[in-house]
Amino acid sequence: MSRRFLTAEDVRRAGGQEIIVDETTVVTPQAQEVASSMGVEIRTGSGAYTEPTPDRGPDADAAGPDPQFIPEPTDELMDTGVIVTCVGCNRPGVLGEVAGVIGNYNSSINDVSQKMVGDYFHLVLVVELGAGSDFAGLKQGLLELDKKSEYVIRVMHERVFRFMHRV
Amino acid sequence: MVELETLDIRTTTLGISLLDCADPDLESTCEKVYSKIVHHARHLSEVADSIENDYGVPIVNRRIAVTPVAWIAGPSGAEDLSPLALALDTAAKEVGVDFIGGFTAYVHKGFTRADHALLESVPHALASTDHVCSSISLGSTRAGVNMSAVARFSEIVLETARLTADTGALGCAKLVCFCNTVEDNPFVAGAHVGIGEAETVLNVGVSGPGVVRSALERLGPDADLQAVASVIKRTAFKVTRMGELVGREAARRLGTTFGIVDISLAPTPAIGDSVADILELMGVERIGAPGTTAALALLTDAVKKGGVMASSSVGGLSGAFIPVSEDQGMIDAVACGALSLAKLEAMTTVCSVGLDMVAVPGDTPADVLTGIIADEMAIGMVNQKTTAVRIIPVPGKGPGETVEWGGLLGTAIVQDPGRFGCETLFRRGGRIPAPIQSFRN
Repeated sequence: MSRRFLTAEDVRRAGGQEIIVDETTVVTPQAQEVASSMGVEIRTGSGAYTEPTPDRGPDADAAGPDPQFIPEPTDELMDTGVIVTCVGCNRPGVLGEVAGVIGNYNSSINDVSQKMVGDYFHLVLVVELGAGSDFAGLKQGLLELDKKSEYVIRVMHERVFRFMHRV
Repeated sequence: MVELETLDIRTTTLGISLLDCADPDLESTCEKVYSKIVHHARHLSEVADSIENDYGVPIVNRRIAVTPVAWIAGPSGAEDLSPLALALDTAAKEVGVDFIGGFTAYVHKGFTRADHALLESVPHALASTDHVCSSISLGSTRAGVNMSAVARFSEIVLETARLTADTGALGCAKLVCFCNTVEDNPFVAGAHVGIGEAETVLNVGVSGPGVVRSALERLGPDADLQAVASVIKRTAFKVTRMGELVGREAARRLGTTFGIVDISLAPTPAIGDSVADILELMGVERIGAPGTTAALALLTDAVKKGGVMASSSVGGLSGAFIPVSEDQGMIDAVACGALSLAKLEAMTTVCSVGLDMVAVPGDTPADVLTGIIADEMAIGMVNQKTTAVRIIPVPGKGPGETVEWGGLLGTAIVQDPGRFGCETLFRRGGRIPAPIQSFRN
């Protein structure tokens, strides 16, 4: 039968007969319980009942890609980019430490800019997340360096950066 | 911005239409409601977690809004609708959201049988559930204010306070009334899915008082007010964009439609995450002092302008919230006598909502509550804006005493509503007619 829901009351009304529902019908947990206690089988035309994929409605069906005015990524690299900025008092090995952590998370440095102002350095890295590594992990790893308080590290997803700072 | 200035997404709210759940049998309606919510929202929390991980933006709350329950309860003819509240609560627990909004009725012009049943069920429903929020529409610019409903609502607030007395009348923190209610509001307690909404829709509420405060700190005290407005607009732009990114991504991952970004500045009791701090940085000695309403008007307007520039999907309440117990600066202002109930009411003429999380003595008479609510509804009705009242009569507490709810709901100092009431007005009933829309002076 074509219906949105099958309830316990519907199962009782069926009087012990096998119930065939649409592929899109949601059978409530109470209906399943009553059917099971009555020994009634609930199935679809093509086989055993499984919970359907949620029907999100006609608007969701018609939804296309996001509109062009949103600064969406133009290629895959930009979608996985991470901007790392790092400022602090210079000493040998800083770049190596940061690069080491990035390497440990299987990610690569696509671009780097380093500027010295007196004894201080300012480092900007564009990082590409590697396969199997996630932003949260990389960020956590880099912030461990920040805890040493020798320099300040900020880690931001490239997509967030672009959304927030481009008109 | 995220680490230092407490920028976060305050809520991702999945709206679910329950119109197809109406059934002549209340038990079957409850079954359908539970099943539909769980069916659609099962992955909401997981999706929010994955976006947090992928983009490093905290998403503080995951919530559900549903069709006003009074609209689906009609066919059953039931007089006690608390089983529906229980179904909502059980579904919310099953999918791991913190609040579910939609134990709602629209009575701004009159009552259906189901509306009446819903209102009568509110106290028990809120006392017996943990996550369910209730909102009642009592007025609109087009319909006027239903004063009979306002009077009944006041009694329901007092009854809810009495039933939840052991938790400082916490039930009343989940109960709100509106004038010009908003059908795509993602924030509780007023969240619900209006009649014009899609089958399912993902709405986002951003936060960000801390970000605005930091930007104003950098600007300093000597910049003129156009400069202040510009800084707030630029900041609101960035915060809104973050909301749009998260909203679109969450909708895509859930396979549903992206609805709106609500760009309200929503404070929390955390230090620095305060709308009061912003107003004080703008130049008001203490929130509640003369000048507060002017500063809040500038803030609300600038937030809207920045947000609307950033996104074509701005909706909900969008502006600045002033929930007294949830904003440390406002709590301090009440404690030192700077912020009175009367000044709060004045501020609500220019903020985005209304009297929010205001504690009053538990023995406040119903007619005094009616007066407070009616005044707020009238402000919304005449000014064509949304106003709301979330007022908490705390049993056993008098003016100046403190009540702690903890978490986002914070701490409140009980405020004095004065000793004069409006009993005759309360007893008259009827409706304040809709206001004229010309001669606006």
